[in-house]
Amino acid sequence: MNNRPNFSREIIQLQNIDEVVESICEKLRDDVFKRFRRQGAVIGVSGGIDSSVTLALAVKAFGADKILAVMLPETDSSPDSEALARQLTDKFKVKAIVENISGALDGFGCYSRRDEAVKRVIPEYNPAIDKMKVIIPKEFVGKNLPPVHYVAVVFADGTEKQARLPLNEYLQIVASSNFKQRSRASMLYYHAEALHYAVIGTPNKHEVQQGFFVKYGDGAADVMPIGNLFKTQVYQIARYLGVPDEIIKRPPTTDTYTAEQTQEEFFYQMPFEEMDLFWYGWEQGYSPDEVGSVMGKSADEVLKIYRNFERKKKTTDYLRTPPVHNYLN
Amino acid sequence: MKEKIRGFIAETTFTDPEIILDNTMIFEDGIFDSMGLLGLINYLESEYGVVTEDVELQEENFGSVERIAAFVDRKIHQMN
Repeated sequence: MNNRPNFSREIIQLQNIDEVVESICEKLRDDVFKRFRRQGAVIGVSGGIDSSVTLALAVKAFGADKILAVMLPETDSSPDSEALARQLTDKFKVKAIVENISGALDGFGCYSRRDEAVKRVIPEYNPAIDKMKVIIPKEFVGKNLPPVHYVAVVFADGTEKQARLPLNEYLQIVASSNFKQRSRASMLYYHAEALHYAVIGTPNKHEVQQGFFVKYGDGAADVMPIGNLFKTQVYQIARYLGVPDEIIKRPPTTDTYTAEQTQEEFFYQMPFEEMDLFWYGWEQGYSPDEVGSVMGKSADEVLKIYRNFERKKKTTDYLRTPPVHNYLN
Repeated sequence: MKEKIRGFIAETTFTDPEIILDNTMIFEDGIFDSMGLLGLINYLESEYGVVTEDVELQEENFGSVERIAAFVDRKIHQMN
């Protein structure tokens, strides 16, 4: 029999945080300096917890003078994002620049293609004054069916209307919104190549494993130092490295659509503190009974959560797969 | 009807139709994902004129070929 510990709410807490941070930094230096032979790091900073911790780790690994932080706002970005990102780069004494990508997005037709699809579902939507977001209604949580997305329009008078997205409209909204992450990646690689630096990616373990990233968008990077860390652990490192409190306290948002929304509402469907533990339980093979007794859920409910994880991992395999090139031996 | 539904699922997922039995749980077994569900909703509407309401998006109605066929049958009867 194995000697693994009993499942508990504390099981994923990092015990020797200084050693964990040092180990990540050592690998960062090995990968960026020795393996890739790049002179420093470019990081897109959003004022969110993941990019802030990534920057803090990079500062510790490479030194502040070898880092360029790039803020990449666009028309739909929350103004808070830039202010928080600025607070972060000031605190860590990192050179920061702002690259507004709205013009590029206009050129791609990002906003017009998205709004055209929204209007086909909710014709009253006026993008000049109304706001929109894509959500998974709470009724879909805990079902054995995959989630179906809805578009929600928040009208200028504060009223809201939701409608289920048919396949073509859903795909068009996602495809147009993904111009944002891909334009950001293009800009980050511009600066990385101009400086002979590497691009440091910011996705965490859930984003990587559940496919909550855009292929060749925020999924485009040379290294992803927090890609194997649970969100709980990201917050632990944030406190350890001195990320500003305002960033730590801010709820994780997508900052993708015009209306405000949390990542929980858009994608994960449960608070990250719980998701971390369920994912760990599933990944490590803890029984639904054992996990359920700690988390206050029935074994059947935990089993449904496990199945949902399995489904997400399987259906997003495409996103994590690099181009297949070995066609002829 | 079951054969047509099975054919649609097999064709859109590049799956051998023989693997998809009447009671195969198409979502649980990973044959269909959320894109598949949206495609199926479109298909039922274009092929049978069946419009799926939000509250009908249940595993009881969509979990397997036989459940989908029974759901479509019920809806067609309601329409007539």
